Amino acid sequence: MPEPESELSSAEVEHVARLARLGITAEEVTRYRDQLRNILAHINALNQADTSQVPATAHPLEERNVMRADEVRPCLSVEDALRNAPKVDGAYFKVKAIQE
Amino acid sequence: MNLHGRTIHELHQMLVDREISSFELTQLVYAQIDRVEEKTAAYLTLTRDLALQQARAADERLRDGRDATPLTGIPIALKDVLCVRDVQSTAGSQILKGFVPPYNATVVERLDREGAVFLGKTNCDEFAMGSSNENSGYRPVHNPWDLDRVPGGSSGGSAAAVAAGEAIAALGSDTGGSIRQPAALTGIVGMKPTYGRVSRYGLIAFASSLDQVGPMTRDVTDCALLLQVIAGHDPMDSTSSPRPVPDYLAQLASGVKGMRLGVPREYFVSGMEPGVEAAVRAAIRTLEQQGASIEEVSLPNSAYALPAYYIIAPAEASSNLARYDGARYGFQDGSGRTVIEEYQATRQHGFGQEVKRRIMLGTYALSAGYYDAYYLKAQKVRTLIIEDFKRAFEKVDALLGATSPTVAFPLGAKTADPLAMYLNDIITIPGNLGNVCGISVPCGLAGGLPVGLQVIAPGFREEVALRVAFAYESASGFHNAHSPLLEAAVA
Repeated sequence: MPEPESELSSAEVEHVARLARLGITAEEVTRYRDQLRNILAHINALNQADTSQVPATAHPLEERNVMRADEVRPCLSVEDALRNAPKVDGAYFKVKAIQE
Repeated sequence: MNLHGRTIHELHQMLVDREISSFELTQLVYAQIDRVEEKTAAYLTLTRDLALQQARAADERLRDGRDATPLTGIPIALKDVLCVRDVQSTAGSQILKGFVPPYNATVVERLDREGAVFLGKTNCDEFAMGSSNENSGYRPVHNPWDLDRVPGGSSGGSAAAVAAGEAIAALGSDTGGSIRQPAALTGIVGMKPTYGRVSRYGLIAFASSLDQVGPMTRDVTDCALLLQVIAGHDPMDSTSSPRPVPDYLAQLASGVKGMRLGVPREYFVSGMEPGVEAAVRAAIRTLEQQGASIEEVSLPNSAYALPAYYIIAPAEASSNLARYDGARYGFQDGSGRTVIEEYQATRQHGFGQEVKRRIMLGTYALSAGYYDAYYLKAQKVRTLIIEDFKRAFEKVDALLGATSPTVAFPLGAKTADPLAMYLNDIITIPGNLGNVCGISVPCGLAGGLPVGLQVIAPGFREEVALRVAFAYESASGFHNAHSPLLEAAVA
């Protein structure tokens, strides 16, 4: 397991950009690496907080399992759902090839 | 008769008494927009035709007299992160350029039902990520008090619109201070309700465990009036609370006599401008003179709020913003050969620098090997911050502090250093993580620029924050100070 304290590398920045489906230039790799290093150094202050006795707050609300009746209700028409699409084919969104 | 600078409640009386019509009022506000919008860039989209149509309908309702509400016929601006049916809604991002939602956000629907008039969509930092409005994907907003300075952010367009007289009131959204900080920097009132108090349905998501929609107004009464309409359970948002909504006006003028107000010593952070500290200390004395007892309290984990926030918010954002793929709506780059290349090109050219930085930070924090060290750790620290507030609220009814450690800063002053920009929200972020509510109310000027007093109350006790803010506002009268752009219209 990599050490979070170790400095973020250019290769890691490229890996994260790939995970996030973000195209990135060589210049941006260097810039983001340096900026993220700086931000992460500040974030590492969290390590000083003693959290050994506390649970994580995943969500601020006390409400759990909000249920409703399973009834069919009106929803967006296909026409409305496709209205903003850059490319459509009949009742579908049209995208580029999944595989080359 | 000069109507510029008037509040919702004053204008409502004039509308009811037929001293003016909503149509005239709406035209008057657009006349001010025509005069100053070139200077402020508060709006991304103006909806003049829709507004005049709504104003005519409001006038009929007011003539009828029976179902007119406090908001009927009142011209209001909406932050561009709120979906409005058939009106371009971009969240300040190029990636949503041309996106026309097929539905209304619930808060928009509720205002529409009350007969409010929609002036347009206000400029903001892209996907509400920013504290200066310089991250807008279109153009930066300028502060009506000093056009060379930022209005704060991310709801800077909404704040500037209200402060410049380009709207009577506005809605903003607050994830780490995005309503309160720009309200403070432009001399208006802004409230972040408790998470769950207001529906997020149709709010373009940034960080789903923190985002809240809230009012930005000329005074505390208007804030209560707007909150009354937008608060409450919404079947379309399972995270909206079923708790009943109190009457926010009922206790507004009850005063602070006998109330216990705490001053967290950690909120007077290093780097706070002396003029800001002086104004806030004077405001605290004013509330003491009004009969509140003031005591110092400690929120010992406050220093961890900013680093925890910059894990939690980007992590949630990186997940929320995965939906912008150029396939279903908004910008599509078109240069990719495969679907993956197309995603990468669309997101590279559609998102701005700060949004990409936060997606990277969030993706990194959630990625294999780092989850426990960052995201889980930050969620545990969030628990510590929640407990800090709980302990403080066992002793006091509300907390007082500055909203922002500085007044409005010059455009460009902090754009080169993301971390310096993040520090603007150091005293607003704990409120979002701690799931409490907070309001910023004008508390004077420092060097000719507005300062905000922040009042924080326990979760779902918005009426307490409003009551303290109203007592301060009534005693100080600082809400009557107008920006030069509004002053020119009033004169």
